[in-house]
Order: sequence, then structure tokens, then C-alpha cells
Amino acid sequence: MASDVEREEEEEDESVSELLRDRFRLCSISIAEAEAKQNGMEVSQPIMACISDLAFKYTQQLAKDLELFAQHGGRKVVNMEDVILAAHRNDHLAGSLRSFRNDLKTKEPQSDRKRKKNLTKEDKAAVDVLHMADP
Amino acid sequence: MEENAFDPELIREIFRIVWQRRASEREKNQLSQNEAEAGANTSKKGRLTSANANALKLSCELLRLFVKEAIQRAATIAEAEGSLKIEATHLERILPQLLLDF
Repeated sequence: MASDVEREEEEEDESVSELLRDRFRLCSISIAEAEAKQNGMEVSQPIMACISDLAFKYTQQLAKDLELFAQHGGRKVVNMEDVILAAHRNDHLAGSLRSFRNDLKTKEPQSDRKRKKNLTKEDKAAVDVLHMADP
Repeated sequence: MEENAFDPELIREIFRIVWQRRASEREKNQLSQNEAEAGANTSKKGRLTSANANALKLSCELLRLFVKEAIQRAATIAEAEGSLKIEATHLERILPQLLLDF
């Protein structure tokens, strides 16, 4: 059905998304391994691949959902409420996402301070000089 | 708590690919259907969907919870069966409920 051009485009698309999928898999495997370790469990290799694949499929589904939710709200930008809405079927999940959102919100005003904390000593000195020069 | 988490930038890129794919599909459908309507929708399809930084962080948390839950539930079953390794049968048992819960 699809023409050759379309097929080529799809292939190109595939190679990019394959790279992303592999990066995603590495991330999810490290999360899964840490979690298994906490539970004193080992995870067999095919199951690890299976779980990371599941998570990737879930991500793609999530992307579709979020887009639809944002569109329904007449927006082009997905916000935090959309993500929480995506988990509305599970009260516990929605609840923990809500508390995570509140954490993010309370952290926000401090982000500026945090950035200053991460500065090297030299930068700090420079900032001090700037402050002194200010008045 | 956050020693392992997804990178929001990675999630952003994955989202963008899905959205791009859907946008081009939509465009194709519109062209094939009728071009008279396309004129009215130009403003709509002008910009691709995007996500703000906090929404991405929240998505990362959601995905992290998904992986965490999968392992934890499978580990519970494996433990009940006296196994020290999570195998396919354990995942099979928790999978239906896991997918319903997310």
C-alpha cells in the first residue's frame, strides 16, 4: 500500500526512534535493577527486556493521551494536569502524582537559590563582587 | 529517592516523535479528505504539541512508578513461590492487573 518514499521516511524515522528506544531501555533497566535489588530479587534477562519494552509502549500511549488531553483543553502545550489526568483511573497513582506535583511546585521558587548553591567557588566570588559593585 | 530516574529530555524526544508522527498522519488525512477544510485548520496544525518542563518531570515519575510497580509486584509473586529470580511466569501473573492500573 505505502509508496517507496513513504517507506523510506518510515525507515529513517525508525532509526531515530530505535536509538531513543535503546536509551529508554537502558534507563528503565537501571530503575528496574535498583528496585529488584531493594527487594532482594534477581531479574532474568528476557523479563528485563520485556518490562522495558512495556514501559516504552506505555510511553508512546502516554504521549497520545497527553496530546489528546491538551487538545481537548484547547492547548498546544501539555501541562502537569494532563499527566495527572492520564493516571485518573488509579486513585493511588493519581494521588502520588499529585503530591509529586506539589513537591515540584514548592521547589520552583527555590530553583534560583539551588542554582547558586551549585556554583563553583570562583563563580561565587564573582557573584559577590557583582553584588558589591551593585550599590 | 531519585537515584534512578528517566531523563526528561529523553522523554521529551520520545513524545516529540510520537506527536510528529501523528501530526503528519493527520495532515495526510486532511489532504486526502477535502482541501477546502484545510484552509480553516492551518492555524490549528501550525505548531506541534509540546510539553512544559514540569509536565515532563511528572511523566518521568509516572514511568518510573510503572517500572517500579512491575518489578515489585513480580517480586511479590516470585517470593511467594520461593524463587529468588523473577521469571516469565511471575510477570505473566501480574501483567493484566498492572496494565489495568496504568
